[in-house]
Amino acid sequence: MPNIDFVGKRTFFIYLSLALILFSVIVIFVKGFNFGVDFSGGSEIIVSFDKSYTIDELRNGLQKINPDYATAKIIQTNPGGGTLERFFYIITVRDSFPILEEKQAFINSLEESFSDSSLNIEQFNDVSGYAAREIRSYAWYAVIIALIVLLAYITIRFQFSYGVGAILALAHDVIITLGFYSLFGIEMNLTAIAAFLTLAGYSLNDTIVVYDRIRENRTKNRGMDIERVTNKSINEVIVRSLNTSLTTFIVVFIMLLLGGRSIASFAFGLTVGVIIGTYSSLYIASPIVIGMVKRRKKTQKA
Amino acid sequence: MRNRRIRILFTIIVFVFALLGLIIPLSDNVNDISIFRFFPNINLGLDIQGGVLLEYSLDVPEGVDTSNVVGNVITVLRRRMDNAGYTEAIVSEVVSGGESRVRVEIPGISDTQRAEELIGSKGKLYFAEVLEVVESTTTPQITRNRTIQINGEQIEMYSYVRDSNNPNLWYRVKNVFEFGDSPFQITGLDVTDAVASLNSQGAGFVVNLNFNNEGRQKFELATANLINQRIAIILDEEVIIAPVVRERISQGRAEISGIESMEEAQNIAVLIKSGNLPVDLVKFQERTLGPTLGRDIVTTIINAGIIGLIIVMIYMIIVYRWMGIIADIALVYNSLLLMGVLSWTGAILTLPGIAGIILTFGTTVDGNIIIYERIKEELRIGRPPLTAVKFGFNKVFSTIFDANITTILAGLVLFFLTSGSIRGFSVTLIIGVLGAMFTNLVVSRLLLESTSHFLKPEKYVKGIVVEKGGTK
Repeated sequence: MPNIDFVGKRTFFIYLSLALILFSVIVIFVKGFNFGVDFSGGSEIIVSFDKSYTIDELRNGLQKINPDYATAKIIQTNPGGGTLERFFYIITVRDSFPILEEKQAFINSLEESFSDSSLNIEQFNDVSGYAAREIRSYAWYAVIIALIVLLAYITIRFQFSYGVGAILALAHDVIITLGFYSLFGIEMNLTAIAAFLTLAGYSLNDTIVVYDRIRENRTKNRGMDIERVTNKSINEVIVRSLNTSLTTFIVVFIMLLLGGRSIASFAFGLTVGVIIGTYSSLYIASPIVIGMVKRRKKTQKA
Repeated sequence: MRNRRIRILFTIIVFVFALLGLIIPLSDNVNDISIFRFFPNINLGLDIQGGVLLEYSLDVPEGVDTSNVVGNVITVLRRRMDNAGYTEAIVSEVVSGGESRVRVEIPGISDTQRAEELIGSKGKLYFAEVLEVVESTTTPQITRNRTIQINGEQIEMYSYVRDSNNPNLWYRVKNVFEFGDSPFQITGLDVTDAVASLNSQGAGFVVNLNFNNEGRQKFELATANLINQRIAIILDEEVIIAPVVRERISQGRAEISGIESMEEAQNIAVLIKSGNLPVDLVKFQERTLGPTLGRDIVTTIINAGIIGLIIVMIYMIIVYRWMGIIADIALVYNSLLLMGVLSWTGAILTLPGIAGIILTFGTTVDGNIIIYERIKEELRIGRPPLTAVKFGFNKVFSTIFDANITTILAGLVLFFLTSGSIRGFSVTLIIGVLGAMFTNLVVSRLLLESTSHFLKPEKYVKGIVVEKGGTK
């Protein structure tokens, strides 16, 4: 069994985490997120041609349809593994087409602009701005209620300080991962939300395994101070934590490499999240509980 | 021993249950995508198999409670989808943020235009007397207008209505017939049936209308008084046709002719038959995915997942040897269980749902790792294999329970608060985590207890002398 002093160095790691969080918040404020149509509204259209165009040619064609489309986002993509001998492009415009005639007119002018290459509309995602706002709002409800339920559960099964510790560790993981999304400009869409939910589950799971061992060791070793119990517990579960993280990491990292664009937002979040989550369950979740437990003891004595 | 027998029983029953879900034909789906061809009972979401999802909010006039009209809208849309041949379509209500919306999902089609035309149309049909025909590019002004009350509804007596084929052609019509005892209207409510067919007497296509009793009388009265005048058939505030009445029509039938395509004729028939939409629908979001692209995307994702999974399975065998093989069996067991439950429940599998499945692979492997580390600890302090396995499982129970219950709680919150593909995620997550708990605590335990003699305690014991070859 390893014998690493996790707890003794907790001040250092808490400062490291604070620095990471601060960095993430700054990046998010400065750089913002690359919102997909799920959040920003607009239309994301995947088209395919039987010949290749440069991004400039496509942009010129779009601009002719509507000068506003000069700012459209255009990405060449490859849906992967496919048998189709075609060239795929993702065009994202700010417009949403709530009326059928408008949408048909847009598609018709696209077909006219690129008439010699058998244009195919492969995917058409149109989200009105209102929908995006709403998705954001219900996502928040879900997050807040889930946090309350989890805090209640952990308080019942462990102690209130553990619940707070688990949720702080969770917030830590989510904020830092958000920072990475912003830093690398990974698209924020519904699958990214799924990634964050998965990450939350993973982070909690990891934290609770450590807490569970602390609870067990505290009843087994009455009188041993909380630092030593915590350190012993973390050391006892570290092999499990690393093995679990490694196996999860293998799956999500391969998904990120080979899974193609539509799963990239998801796989990216988990690849980063697994690393951050493992780190936080070893160095953050339990060490900050120590502080809270000690403070409570002090006030009880006083 | 009794415990073990119960475990064997449960393991087998659950396995057979899952297998039956996969084998018995529960639906006539044809999944030809990647590994789903082996699981025909699983309902694939539109983001996997391709198709169109259209979601509309209801433009309800002020003071009207949305909940009263939603049911009506759903019935009308359901009928329109069925009549148009999209019998696989799902029409459902979505409640989100206190607002009700209507969602139509049609699998397998990529041309959304017709579906959108059918859904967006109010389908409001009525007959009117033509007073004047004008040619103009702008809407002509109505100077003298007045309204009349019929059955509690305020109806404008006169209006200009545009021709459906020629946008410059306007008809000034009188919306209300004033023959007989009291003024009346002839609307879609008076029609019992509408059938599209080829025009046997001339060019183009026709829609034959059959009136109910009341409609037949009204139509007879109207045609009797309007001989040699034109009567307009108006659908969604566009004149479809305005023929000259040649004789009094008493058979209770009318014909809309001069339609250019069979598809248009069918659309008109569908709209009339399915009734009026009580409100306007405003498109909220659309997601269309071509079937071939969907297939490519999913195949890529699943292949990547399978490669990752195989590496993990090999890793588990290298690190945990015999216990790793059991972990791999548990993984396969839980996957089959998940697929079986998905088949039985008819839950819809979406792309985020696949993400949920991958997460439950993680949970299964994790549960096994937690158990094996515990067993190793027990072996280290010198317990014999079978005791180590039993102690290990008893001690990890609360860990696995707590760690997974939190995931399930989070999943439940999601399930009740979200809709669509994220909900698909929470479904597979909840099923998968429950399955992982069962697999780890029952199936893995059974396998390990029955094969504990394969464990080599001396590998984990340091500094303790083990009698070699002395046991047997």
